[in-house]
Amino acid sequence: MTGSSPVATQRRTAAEVGAAIAAGRPFLVRYFPLVVALGIVLTLVLVVAHVSIGTANISVEDVVKVLTGQQVDSTTHTIVYELRLPRALVAVLAGAMLALAGAIMQTVTRNPLAEPDLTGESAGAVFFAVLWLSRDLIYRNVSPPNIGVPIVAMAGSVLTGGLVYVLSRGRDRQSNNVRMVLTGIMISAIFRSLTSLVLLVNQNAANGILMWIIGSLNGVTWSHWNTIWPWAVLTIPLGMACAGAANTLHLGDDIAAGLGMKVERARLLLLFVAVLLTAASVSVVGSLAFLGLIAPHIARRLVGNDARRLFPLSVILGAIILVMADVVARGLTRVLDLPVGAVMAIIGAPFLIYLLRRTGR
Amino acid sequence: MSTVSQTQSRTLYRSPRLGRFAMILVCLLVTLLGLMLVGLMLGIPQLTIPDLLTVANGGGSRLARIIVPELRLPRVLLGALAGGMLALAGTLFQNSMRNALAGPELLGVSNGASLVMAAVVIFHLPLPWPLYPIAALAGGMLAGMIALSSMRSLNDPIRLVLMGVSVSVLLYAAIIAIISLGEQNDIGLLYLYLLGSLANRTWDYVNLVWPWALVCIPLALVMARPLNLLQLGDEVAEGLGLHIIRWRLAIMAVGAMMVAVVVSVAGPIGYVALASPHIARRLLGTTDARQVLPTAMLIGAALLVGADLLAKNLFSPLELPVGLWTTIIGGPLLVILLRKQLAGARSLR
Repeated sequence: MTGSSPVATQRRTAAEVGAAIAAGRPFLVRYFPLVVALGIVLTLVLVVAHVSIGTANISVEDVVKVLTGQQVDSTTHTIVYELRLPRALVAVLAGAMLALAGAIMQTVTRNPLAEPDLTGESAGAVFFAVLWLSRDLIYRNVSPPNIGVPIVAMAGSVLTGGLVYVLSRGRDRQSNNVRMVLTGIMISAIFRSLTSLVLLVNQNAANGILMWIIGSLNGVTWSHWNTIWPWAVLTIPLGMACAGAANTLHLGDDIAAGLGMKVERARLLLLFVAVLLTAASVSVVGSLAFLGLIAPHIARRLVGNDARRLFPLSVILGAIILVMADVVARGLTRVLDLPVGAVMAIIGAPFLIYLLRRTGR
Repeated sequence: MSTVSQTQSRTLYRSPRLGRFAMILVCLLVTLLGLMLVGLMLGIPQLTIPDLLTVANGGGSRLARIIVPELRLPRVLLGALAGGMLALAGTLFQNSMRNALAGPELLGVSNGASLVMAAVVIFHLPLPWPLYPIAALAGGMLAGMIALSSMRSLNDPIRLVLMGVSVSVLLYAAIIAIISLGEQNDIGLLYLYLLGSLANRTWDYVNLVWPWALVCIPLALVMARPLNLLQLGDEVAEGLGLHIIRWRLAIMAVGAMMVAVVVSVAGPIGYVALASPHIARRLLGTTDARQVLPTAMLIGAALLVGADLLAKNLFSPLELPVGLWTTIIGGPLLVILLRKQLAGARSLR
């Protein structure tokens, strides 16, 4: 195995960077617009598949009819339009946003393990969102979507991120990748328990608890969609626009400063965009883990490290992966809906092990 | 080996810390018994100490005569036993692997055991009740083995824990999936297998645990000497004549067994195993396993009984899973205690 010695790994990663810059994977990079178009088409196909597969199978024709506004019988219309469509659309946006957040964090911190969930930000956001939702102690529903929730979640995720950063700083006042993730995991565990505490004291339903502790799309309605889309419209283009700055930061602090960049300010700004993306999606789908890890890594394998290609492809892959995971989650459902977060974790945890092995030594 | 460890133990035996050790032990014992007494008193109906004495003599109201010996006493005893065993297991893991973060909850052992238990209970697998701990042990061992075998070497403690956490997350998701797919799903079940709970534990559970405790606790305590040697590092320990692989396997097996027993009756209660040894070392000011083991055991028992008091009474009549409180109390304690070690962790490069 080539990864067994540090020299080989370094040479390989350096080679990967070089390959991406010199169009070493010419096909995907040269035809990148085509790849993006293909990805978008695939996403749309998956959305239609997501809507048509379920306990009541609905033909693709009917789905297309509903989507194009033609007449179908009212049951089909209700199932497609009221129950399944918002869920599929929210999955697309949430997946896209989480993947972009992960891509930004990995590029900016140069940490292959940076992901909102591993660094504690998701757990903090979820805790504050839950606390905010249950402030009147009579809240019992899954999640009354509320325009204020993403803002509270954002504050929570900034606070938690800051806490993890401060706690993971050593005597040299420098934070490093592994201790950050380790601290993040422990802080996450504490916040997750606090979240469960709030939910249990409020006597929440099992479904609501599952959503907040592992991430779920069960019971998503148009009001969830209304919570998430304004944020998506605002933050996804913002994140993409940061690609140039992210590229410069990825070169390392010294080089970035040498290129005339205010490094600290740029990094904080980019991380803030990542927090916005995380908070908005987390407040609708709960603490969905691993998406921010998997999608950017696959995208990096396909098109290399250049953020101008990496970010759009991560967005598309995030959407595709989450929609597919949700199809699986719904396909297995019997009584209590299997939360999509569990499916993501079952795919994602082995992926994390693989990453840890690959980056080791 | 024997001469070396004898000289070593003789020098340690003379250590001036011994008086302090005895004092700490007595204080902890008093705290534990006090907490257990409070556990017997609090609840609905609330009882005073004279009430308890009357119940002990066969008097008192009918309700009290049922509640105290049949419900509260087994629960308190189970809490103390489970806490003590978890803390011992944590000490065994940490000392034998020389890893401050090696706890069953971070290595996947707890969740592995819990996953097997969840599968057995939810899918009604035909398994006799006394074999539950064995099944849990198989799950825990398997999860631990996966985490360990994902590593190329044991010398990178931080990476080992990250591997273990990944395995834990995977199992955690699998537990949620199993509970979602089962027919009888309720929040109690979910929290039992995700967080651990001591609610409604009767003598049946105590009877399942105590034989194991009787075997495992003395075994763990007599392992102090090899633990001390292992702490010196593999090469030194081997040089002193210790069969390191054999001993390490034996120590881990005893640790995993204790975790499995606890998980099979109370679920994967977190952070007791991880935090208690650290508190014990801090209190004692030494890492000598012969002092840390009993101290950690009492701390773990007191922690769990105390956390269970909170779980049962803080939001009464609503009962919360005790694993919630151990994480909320133990987690921050651990972060504070480990701040330096975490900060010293090597970079991923």
